[in-house]
Amino acid sequence: MSDFNPKIVAFVCNWCTYAGADLTGTSRMKYSPQVSIIRFPCTGRIDFMLLLKAFANGADGIIVSGCHPNDCHYSSGNFHARRRWIVFRGLLDFLGIDVRRVRFSWVSAAEGAKWAQLVNDTAEHVRQLGPFSGYHRLRGLGVG
Amino acid sequence: MARIGVFICHCGENISATVDVKKVAAAASRIPGVAHSVEYKYMCSDPGQQMIKNAVREKNLTGVVVAACSPRMHEPTFRRACAEAGLNPFLCEMANIREHCSWVHEKSDATTNKAIDIVRTLVAKVKKNKALLPIKVPVTKTALVLGGGIAGIQASLDIANAGHKVILVEKQPSIGGHMSQLSETFPTLDCSQCILTPRMVEVAQHPNITLHSYSELESLDGFIGNFKARIRKKARSLDEKLCTGCGLCTQKCPTRKIASEFDAGLGLRPAIYVPFPQAVPNKPVIDREHCTYYLKGKCRLCEKICPTQAIRFDQEDEILEVEVGAVVLATGFDIKHGDFFPEYGYGKYKDVIDGLQFERLASASGPTLGEMRRPSDGRVPETVVFVACAGSRDPAKGIEYCSKICCMYTAKHAMLYKHKVHHGRPYVFYMDIRAGGKMYEEFVRRAQEVDGVQYIRGRVSRIYERGGKLVVKGADTLLGARPMEIEADLVVLATAGVANAGAEELAQKVHVSYDPYYFYSEAHPKLRPVETNTAGIFLAGACQAPKDIPESVAQASGAAAKVAGLFSQSELVREPLIAVVDRQAPPLYSTCVGCFLCQAACPYQAIEKEEIRGRDGRLIKTVAKVNPGLCQGCGTCVALCRSKSIDIQGFSHEQVYAEVLALLNRGESDV
Amino acid sequence: METLRDKARELLAARTVQVIIGYGQGSGGGARAVFVREAAEADALIFNEACRQNLAVYLMKPEVRKLGKAALVATPSALRTILQLAAENQVGDHDLLALAVHAAGEVTLLATLQAIEAHVTELDADLSAAEKAELRKYEALSLEQRREYWQEQFSRCLKCYACRAACPLCYCSRCTVECNQPQWIPVPAHDLGNLEWNVMRAMHLAGRCVNCGDCSRACPVAIPLYLLNQKLISDVFANFNARSGMAAKTDNAMSIFKPDDSEDFIR
Ligand SMILES: Cc1cc2nc3c(=O)[nH]c(=O)nc-3n(C[C@H](O)[C@H](O)[C@H](O)COP(=O)(O)OP(=O)(O)OC[C@H]3O[C@@H](n4cnc5c(N)ncnc54)[C@H](O)[C@@H]3O)c2cc1C
Ligand code: SF4
Ligand code: SF4
Ligand code: SF4
Repeated sequence: MSDFNPKIVAFVCNWCTYAGADLTGTSRMKYSPQVSIIRFPCTGRIDFMLLLKAFANGADGIIVSGCHPNDCHYSSGNFHARRRWIVFRGLLDFLGIDVRRVRFSWVSAAEGAKWAQLVNDTAEHVRQLGPFSGYHRLRGLGVG
Repeated sequence: MARIGVFICHCGENISATVDVKKVAAAASRIPGVAHSVEYKYMCSDPGQQMIKNAVREKNLTGVVVAACSPRMHEPTFRRACAEAGLNPFLCEMANIREHCSWVHEKSDATTNKAIDIVRTLVAKVKKNKALLPIKVPVTKTALVLGGGIAGIQASLDIANAGHKVILVEKQPSIGGHMSQLSETFPTLDCSQCILTPRMVEVAQHPNITLHSYSELESLDGFIGNFKARIRKKARSLDEKLCTGCGLCTQKCPTRKIASEFDAGLGLRPAIYVPFPQAVPNKPVIDREHCTYYLKGKCRLCEKICPTQAIRFDQEDEILEVEVGAVVLATGFDIKHGDFFPEYGYGKYKDVIDGLQFERLASASGPTLGEMRRPSDGRVPETVVFVACAGSRDPAKGIEYCSKICCMYTAKHAMLYKHKVHHGRPYVFYMDIRAGGKMYEEFVRRAQEVDGVQYIRGRVSRIYERGGKLVVKGADTLLGARPMEIEADLVVLATAGVANAGAEELAQKVHVSYDPYYFYSEAHPKLRPVETNTAGIFLAGACQAPKDIPESVAQASGAAAKVAGLFSQSELVREPLIAVVDRQAPPLYSTCVGCFLCQAACPYQAIEKEEIRGRDGRLIKTVAKVNPGLCQGCGTCVALCRSKSIDIQGFSHEQVYAEVLALLNRGESDV
Repeated sequence: METLRDKARELLAARTVQVIIGYGQGSGGGARAVFVREAAEADALIFNEACRQNLAVYLMKPEVRKLGKAALVATPSALRTILQLAAENQVGDHDLLALAVHAAGEVTLLATLQAIEAHVTELDADLSAAEKAELRKYEALSLEQRREYWQEQFSRCLKCYACRAACPLCYCSRCTVECNQPQWIPVPAHDLGNLEWNVMRAMHLAGRCVNCGDCSRACPVAIPLYLLNQKLISDVFANFNARSGMAAKTDNAMSIFKPDDSEDFIR
């Protein structure tokens, strides 16, 4: 288990979290390379189906992050997203899918340090949870 | 077949120090669809850009991925380079291997592998990119300004002076708003009318401004650059062209005992009236609710007396239709009146008045001609209590915010009183003094130190009458909550600034959002304070939140600059990263089923209904349509649409889906 | 009983509606949907305990819509479906009127959406005590037990989409499962695709499902879809204080937000 390197996909909005992650870079803060980012205009654009697709294709953990409430570039995309996640999380949990593998956060363009922390925390947390084999097995992926 | 070019940048050593760029280039060249893969020291330099341009031409590339810094840094650079080489700029994407990779990880295989993952992800995306053309929207260079207070006046003048047409619509018979009612203004104590009147006249005379007073917006349709407004010109009962404003009618009208709105109920006016002498336009209106002729069918004295036969008793409201490219909302605010303060006896005791009434008492043009006389018996008040925060910052009253102007105008009132009644005793009950602003703190200090206004920190609990005096009961919290009782001759309540009664209705008419207090919401609380969420509609003045004159004027000029910016070109050109509802061949027409759940979700009211009709005009289907002038490209609708009938250009379903799959599925060729 | 038939006869004779969508005698004591277009055929209509199907599903079928204005023999869920469909811009007053049926076989004519609203307000739209108890039972299981339970259930799914066909709110002209660019839901019936399909279907009904139960009844392999629906009904109500199918003009709970929606899970 100790050499397990989780695969984590981060779905982030362009205006806050993507920019925040840029700031982590410009500030040369280090974090775990297990995470890769996919850029969206807004958290409101993030389709819950994409989260399922990420798990199905081998992700062990997911980060979803955008602008803090009231800071959304589009004023309310993050509020809409939040509402969907409330419902989606409840459903996943009900189906026995471990929602601890999805970390929702708000990271602003100024929170470079928070981004690094978020990634490291998530990576560590997912490492402890181990590979998401229960889910991957559904497709016959990375059984183990 | 895709022919993608991948260009990997060393960024000096910023990338190459931790990422094995050669390995990335080699791995990229093995990704299916990649026709060209190179690395170079500085992709953003001229030779770097030239490399891209040459490759686009020579290798006939159908897409480009530049693996370098953040797209937030250089996406425009590389898209321009592609465009110059003849490739649609939206077929170029950046893989961020600097900020998101080389700078945040140590040198290692894992870091290089992550860079490869990122490149593969963006290659997968770019394969699904589509050539896009910028969106062009024509712009009608006329602005509609709603509300003729100082904010609306300033915005109109600024836009008009920038060379554009303005239609200014004011609900009242005259422009001027609350500022015209004020006596003197903080923090300089210059006379309000004196600084306002020249602006009002300028509005009336400006060749670019058309003023419709005593008018209201009936409806607004369309979108940025292309609005259609219907304006109701209420019947003044007067032919404005014939009227010379001589005022004979207003002098002779026998119905004279109507409470004057302008004097905040402290003065009287006739049924045919001009709200105040400096009114613009200086033409009377007949108040049909009070005019004897409309009530009883007899009188018509004004008609007889008018030297130009301008009176028109049978005049009807007129509806004007105008086309405008932008709208400025400057409809201002109001203050709390009436039975909001039963414990203060407001409305019960004549000598408990609000701030605007005090302004009229202090005004040289007011009902007392500027002499300080109290409403009940006309006596000069010897002791006056001013109560700040009457209603504001009081969750129990449902108003949690600070009205922002009251601390300042209360200090002003106390000073004005003291200037007029030298031996008088002014007291101010306050919660905190908020005097942020240039020369504001100094102004309040002057009231306390030069004019000897007694400031008492504490709330007033009750006001009642006792032997011709008003007993003000409160506590001085600086003196250990010692109960206080002051016998006053006049009490002035600085009642909370609130939204206009019609604010909600207007917001719904023009489709802008508002806060729980019905103040209009700005598009972004920090960065877009004069725009609304509806493109092309801007905000100025106290309709957005209570604010003073300098702030109202500054915001008005800001809104005007935005309008002038919009009008600086005949077409509005926008990035095409917007949502689109699919269209299909008949009989389906669109996979959209017209549930319009997206419509409520769109933060910009960009989703419209489109009726698809057969040749015979029969309605076949109603489907959603995104207005490209309004959509800002957030994609909220895209994730909401169940049948995936809306997609967003630049972040389409196919693009992001391909990214997720590519990111997580390393091909054997990769590492 | 006669009241239903009388009313139907009267409406057809007066040409107030062109068709009555109601229940008729099915095989083996069951009931089936019938479409009565002539006053003389009104005797085909029945109402008894077997009449459970949510007939509002037919309002969305093009063949039925072609027949003209309909009077729908409506159970409480069907009434709520009508309102939900109206809120989703799918039906209007000109399309239908409802014959709300009562246990005794009497009917109340609800001629407008407004009348349906008034009628529905009187109904108890909450999940029943038994339903709540069952939900709680599953919620109390461990995560692993829930996973096993659902994996077992979904493993039977045939991807026949009978649930979708039975649901009056699954009226999309192109369902996402038919979308192949990209192919959101894999075509074959395997564990992953079955899970994805069922999550998607449930999510698409969030804030919309009226708990008629027809999807579960239609399922040939008896997957308890109603549990998923009821879970979301209960969560949507608990979090957003919203219920589907109560008003003909209202914003869907999933299309709007409140600035103070819970975010205890966002860190
Ligand atoms: C008692 C008091 C004293 C004050 N003293 C000072 C001071 O000394 N110094 C200072 O800087 N500020 C002072 N202020 C604040 C000042 O009054 C405001 O800053 C200023 O009036 C705001 O201007 P405005 O144009 O935004 O709004 P308003 O002055 O409210 O003007 C809005 C205009 O829009 C019109 N309107 C409303 N609805 C519609 C509609 N639907 N269609 C068309 N027209 C419409 C109204 O009739 C009005 O003419 C004081 C305020 C009060 C209450
Ligand atoms: S992308 Fe955003 S702004 Fe554009 S139509 Fe959809 S919800 Fe509205
Ligand atoms: S999802 Fe099932 S219970 Fe809900 S409305 Fe559709 S058929 Fe009825
Ligand atoms: S499952 Fe979703 S997309 Fe398919 S018909 Fe039902 S609501 Fe529409």
